[in-house]
Amino acid sequence: MQQKNKFSTGSRRSPAGVNRGALLRRVSPFLTIACLLLLWQWISARELISHILVPPPAEVYLAFIDSLVDGTLLKHASITLEEMIYGLALGVGIGLIIGYAIAKAPLLENILSPVIVAFQSTPIVAYAPLLVIWFGSGPASKVVTTAVIVFFPTLVNAIVGIRSVSPNLRDMMRSLKAGRWQTFRHLEAPSALPVVLAGLKTSTTLAVIGAVVGEFVSQGSGLGYLVTSARNLYDTPLVVVAVLTMTSISLSLYGFVAYVEWRFLLWQRRSSS
Amino acid sequence: MLILIRLIILATLPLAILTSAQAEPVNERILLTFIPNVQFAPFYMGIEGGHFAAAGFNVSLEHLQEPEVLDLVAVGQAQFGIVSGEQVILARFRGRDVVYVFEWFQQYPVGLVYSSAMDLSALENLRGMAIGVPGRFGASYSGLATLLGSAGLSEADIDLREIGFNAPEVFCLGVVDAAIVYVNNEPLQIQNLALDGDCGAVSDVDVITVASQVDLVSNGLIVSRAYLEEEPDAVARMVTGLAGALRAVIDNPAAAYLASMKYVDSLPAEESLVTALESAADKQDEFLVSNPDRDEIALSRRQLMADLAERFDRNTLTQLNVLLNTIELWDAEYLGYSQLASWEAMRNTLDSMGFLDDEAGNLQDAFTNRFVAGSDE
Repeated sequence: MQQKNKFSTGSRRSPAGVNRGALLRRVSPFLTIACLLLLWQWISARELISHILVPPPAEVYLAFIDSLVDGTLLKHASITLEEMIYGLALGVGIGLIIGYAIAKAPLLENILSPVIVAFQSTPIVAYAPLLVIWFGSGPASKVVTTAVIVFFPTLVNAIVGIRSVSPNLRDMMRSLKAGRWQTFRHLEAPSALPVVLAGLKTSTTLAVIGAVVGEFVSQGSGLGYLVTSARNLYDTPLVVVAVLTMTSISLSLYGFVAYVEWRFLLWQRRSSS
Repeated sequence: MLILIRLIILATLPLAILTSAQAEPVNERILLTFIPNVQFAPFYMGIEGGHFAAAGFNVSLEHLQEPEVLDLVAVGQAQFGIVSGEQVILARFRGRDVVYVFEWFQQYPVGLVYSSAMDLSALENLRGMAIGVPGRFGASYSGLATLLGSAGLSEADIDLREIGFNAPEVFCLGVVDAAIVYVNNEPLQIQNLALDGDCGAVSDVDVITVASQVDLVSNGLIVSRAYLEEEPDAVARMVTGLAGALRAVIDNPAAAYLASMKYVDSLPAEESLVTALESAADKQDEFLVSNPDRDEIALSRRQLMADLAERFDRNTLTQLNVLLNTIELWDAEYLGYSQLASWEAMRNTLDSMGFLDDEAGNLQDAFTNRFVAGSDE
């Protein structure tokens, strides 16, 4: 508290100015969205771009309400969300295990890295059709596509997180005769957590790409399918609704992980302050 | 005097069109669907054989998804596109004022492929079977709905599985009992897999075509109504160019295959095959001088395949076979002509599928045969 006051006194801005700045920062994302909506409405009203290509916000809103009322949107959104969650669980789980193993055994990195880097450097859309052939056209192929896309950031962050543990702290654990599990639980896991959670935030935004790419390649259900079917019926407002729903799911999951990060790392902020 | 002036104008109009076409070829793109493929041979032939140039166009080709093709044409970002007939009805229903001016495929190219060991002598036997379809959209889905409808069945009577565009693999893995495919292409691929022993217990396949049940309007050239009204001459010239190119492919598939090689990377192009095709193309040109009828030309196409089959293996000739199969879907006495009845059949199919929840406008506005040679419109 003292530190805060000291900091505040050091600044030339008044407390009211600081509050206004903080408020502006909080509302600025909403202002950006509002400005974009206004711009969209203005373009539509003046017909600067054909409504066939860019439907007016009012039409999109009506499509949103219609698809919500008849259950189409929730049905497809829940399927995509389910694929994302299973894919995240699978990809993150495997990424953490292999990442930990590689961090502890550099030889394993030499063995696995050519395969992992080759897989990661290939765009997912290129091999997604293969995943459909191998895992079938059902949800399994979408879950695997999602898992593959979230695997790499998790892996890299797990390796970085475990390797960033201070050697002094490792020495201390050794001097305390801590076992492997104790070292993991009390030192490695907490130390790696900030980096791992940062990777998880990236993974959640990628998960929607994985699920939707899978749905584009193998049709059936989900928001990717809704985009395709609406597009084939020339229902552009519904396409926009599906795309915005994907964005909302992605942002919600990102926000959830950010919240988890904030909660879990509270101790770290407290200790550092 | 006025009559004389009119007569002079009428007499010199074709010359003026021809002169302008020869003087300044206009850069124009044609939007196609799918990917570069030997099935687009008429467009490659149109460019390489000078048919589009003679019509006054310097044509470039782009491949997009069907809805994108249709929207870009509808808003005037492109003047010409190729889409299937049901897309025209659906898009017009959603406010896109496009007009279909040339029916490229005279027969609907979709059908049901199944193992010859199965008894599908009556379509009612489809009841309870697992049927694969790329998705619940597009020409394949419309084709399935038509087949089921003609057997008095509905989607609820079968186990419909959406398999993407992976019919050969999915069918041969035994995931589905039968699959909706493009009849000129996938059955051939499945047949090849079966002959190689890579298609499970399937040793041979049969196909039931949608065209054998109902005549549905198929793929063709579209323009926007605005462009049609502003530039009817340009539309007429493009239709003439495309019709000429299409006839050239039908008459001389070896030459069409050679023209396609520049555009389709995956076409087998080994030197011995190219030499054989060049020789066959020259021979066919000589044959065409004798002014053969359609039946004789069809016979010459079969002879071409028989001759090449003696010298080249099955896989080398697969794409040529696809072209020859596709030509059967294009060939007609009058190229480009579409029937109102086939438009109505397509509208009824879409209506039964629940895609049109209101009157889909006047079908007479959806197409015109006025630019088609031999049409009395």
